[in-house]
Amino acid sequence: MVRSALGNNATIGRGPRRLARYWPAGSVAIASTLSVLPIVTEVGWGPDFGFLMLIAWRLLRGDAIPAWWAAPLGLFNDLITGSPVGQSIFVWTASMLMLDLADRRTMWRDYWIEWLLAAILLFISQVVRWDVDALMGASYAFRLIWSPWIIAVLAFPLAAFTASAVDRWRLGR
Amino acid sequence: MAPPVGARPGWSRRAQYGLFFSFLATIAGVLIGLFLLGLSIVAPHAYAGVRGATLDVTSPVTGALREATTTVTGLVSGAGNYWDAARQNAALKKEQAALRQQVIQARAILNENAQLKAALQLREKALQAVATGRIVGSSFESQRRFAVISVGRGDGVLIGMPVRAPAGLVGRVVEAGATASRVLLISDRANIVPTRLLRGGQAVISTGRGDGTVDLRPLEVGRNPFRRGDIVVTSGTGGLYPPGVPVARVVRLDDDGAIALPMADPADVSFAVVEQPYEEAALRAADEPTPEAR
Repeated sequence: MVRSALGNNATIGRGPRRLARYWPAGSVAIASTLSVLPIVTEVGWGPDFGFLMLIAWRLLRGDAIPAWWAAPLGLFNDLITGSPVGQSIFVWTASMLMLDLADRRTMWRDYWIEWLLAAILLFISQVVRWDVDALMGASYAFRLIWSPWIIAVLAFPLAAFTASAVDRWRLGR
Repeated sequence: MAPPVGARPGWSRRAQYGLFFSFLATIAGVLIGLFLLGLSIVAPHAYAGVRGATLDVTSPVTGALREATTTVTGLVSGAGNYWDAARQNAALKKEQAALRQQVIQARAILNENAQLKAALQLREKALQAVATGRIVGSSFESQRRFAVISVGRGDGVLIGMPVRAPAGLVGRVVEAGATASRVLLISDRANIVPTRLLRGGQAVISTGRGDGTVDLRPLEVGRNPFRRGDIVVTSGTGGLYPPGVPVARVVRLDDDGAIALPMADPADVSFAVVEQPYEEAALRAADEPTPEAR
């Protein structure tokens, strides 16, 4: 307290931004929108940006995004990425519930455990997607999901960094 | 240590109820998601309207960005072309000389073909292009292979129409918005193209593999008919794709078939032409779930 008062007073009088409550969900929607980038490839390798951002927020703060907001955010993601409608709604809300359960079970939390949880959730989401695609007539080989999964797991720290940076910014710290 | 019985926000009744109801809302979200997902699987066309509208909203952004990246890559590759211009020039001259010979041969064959057709009184079906658009985006975050092209219902594009590029077949339209549409590429697992081997004319089934390549299987069981470098073209069977459009080039053989690369790489194709289905009946059939999509 005393030390911060003696230090530079740039932080005095700075509070949360306007709409600070909605920035986490907004950043997830913006991340979903990354899929309109004009990348034309023969191979699908990109991560599900919106989902990465959602779990990064959820792991950073339990209350940043109310769990049920995952449903409308998922619908937005489905429409914008062109995946089957309902897929992200289901996967995203179910992941929020699973992380609620994980929160009760884990004794302590550090960065590695968060990364592990994220990796597990990303894998589950890839498997669900593989199943849904197979049901829709595109039963491609299971091995095709490994490389996008690894890319997504490696991209998680970036999402976590972005989430914490937006968090500091929105709270005016 | 046993986990706590539940997340308690304290003694406030209001906070407790808030937590409980948000939990119920999340469960409802899961169930709604499952229901909508089931509907997408059972009736893929149920969301055609809203998905087409989203496509219309996002594709101008993608198109504009695509323009910028094409310019940048054009500058880079253009600079690269200057780098070894002399060597390229020599190679191109050689190629041109070879091509000139082939053109003369081809012209002779064309003449002969026309004469033979006239003798047989075959009527050539004139295929008209419905619309020409640019490939602006793709499903790069999914293992399904879709591309977005910058023409839609406003230009006459309908679901089920075949899409081709100068180099070869691209795929067929699966969702059409007013100004943009989504194309199922031939490298998608759900896209099955009836083809034939250019050398020999044997009937071949081409299925996407989802990793940018295409799986080729001969229709008749027997000796593996493929050789490296073989080209397969559409056979026109099924009536959707016009016959004689290049599809893929064989790069590897396996037990009873081959793995091939599509001739038209969507990443390099600048223009895609949407055509009428070869037989009109194919367009009506495309609206119903095809047995091949099961």
